[in-house]
Amino acid sequence: MKRCAPLLVLSLAALMLMPQAAGAAGISVDAGVTPARDRWIYRTLVRSMTRDDDPTGMGRKMDMLMWNNVLAYGMRPNLTLILKQPVRRREISMAGSKISDSGAGDLALLAKYRLVRRNNRETTFGLAGTLELTVPTGSEEFTSDTWDLRPGIYGSFRRGRWATDFSAAYRLSGAAGDRDDGREVGDELALDWAGARQFLVGGSANTTLAPVLELSYRNAARDELMGQPFVNSGEELLYLSPGLKYTRSSLILEALVLVPVWQDQNGAQVERGTGFLLGLRKLF
Amino acid sequence: MKRAISVLTLVVAILLAAGCATADRSVSTDPGSTDLEVRIYEVFGMDCPGCHGGLEKLVLRVQGVEAAQANWEQKRLTVTVSSGVELDDEAVFEAVRQANFTPGERLQ
Repeated sequence: MKRCAPLLVLSLAALMLMPQAAGAAGISVDAGVTPARDRWIYRTLVRSMTRDDDPTGMGRKMDMLMWNNVLAYGMRPNLTLILKQPVRRREISMAGSKISDSGAGDLALLAKYRLVRRNNRETTFGLAGTLELTVPTGSEEFTSDTWDLRPGIYGSFRRGRWATDFSAAYRLSGAAGDRDDGREVGDELALDWAGARQFLVGGSANTTLAPVLELSYRNAARDELMGQPFVNSGEELLYLSPGLKYTRSSLILEALVLVPVWQDQNGAQVERGTGFLLGLRKLF
Repeated sequence: MKRAISVLTLVVAILLAAGCATADRSVSTDPGSTDLEVRIYEVFGMDCPGCHGGLEKLVLRVQGVEAAQANWEQKRLTVTVSSGVELDDEAVFEAVRQANFTPGERLQ
């Protein structure tokens, strides 16, 4: 039993650390404008996150590396189908002990429908509605165990070399199915805004570099078990994320620093630290 | 996880190579260099270099189009017409719409 004690404590720490997967969504440019018909887009994102400011003084810490793979297809000019498959690695440490695990996250299927698209000589405006379905296909450590729905709305506005995007999405956790442990994960509201300004590189219209600034707000409701709220769950977060986007023809490279400028964690959850995001997109 | 990172590195390298290989792809649109007819159209809605490929791909499918080159900065699409073919402007405009852009005037 003594041998099991550290593992038990770490497992409890993990439970207090892991409930919410909330974080800045990453670069959301192009969010409201659907791609051309028959266009394929492959996007890969690596995001590192850390939680290391433990209010309990127990020195709990978590490092997480998320690798998201996204494949999008412009089925029609007004309809894009998207597949997302994350892979995750997590390391939790406390009082000199560590546990780590890695595995696949849940597969997400997403449809984006163009609601508005206005192009004219000076400006472009696009508005799209999305519906995302998360399927519990992930490994034991990383699956939500439930089918989650996430409706959203995305908008984009362009004027010359300036671009601004916004998105609002709401995750309805456990729309279908129940977790094995009976826990009902709280819903989550996500609001994002991004601004960017492109600069031509080498005077060619084929290559641009754009400083990007993102603002991301997350509000995750408390989890519940048999109608009773989990104390150590639910949070509010505000990330400010400066970054760069490099575009060369059909290849796009993105990098962001995810800075949590404000956070309010319920209970004794460990606070979030600065994260990083690297992304690559290839358009076919 | 090391394996996953290796795979990611490989994917990135391949995509970078592919990107560089396609980035310099250009279409000769100098009307003086060939006997082929060159047309230039205004196109609205392109907002970055990434837009070029999707539009060019669709315009190239139009019967009578030999080559197509888009420029988001100039808001232009340059089309080279195949020899001896009568290209229908409306077919080009429809391809532009399918790419989620809006055709303007034919400039040349």
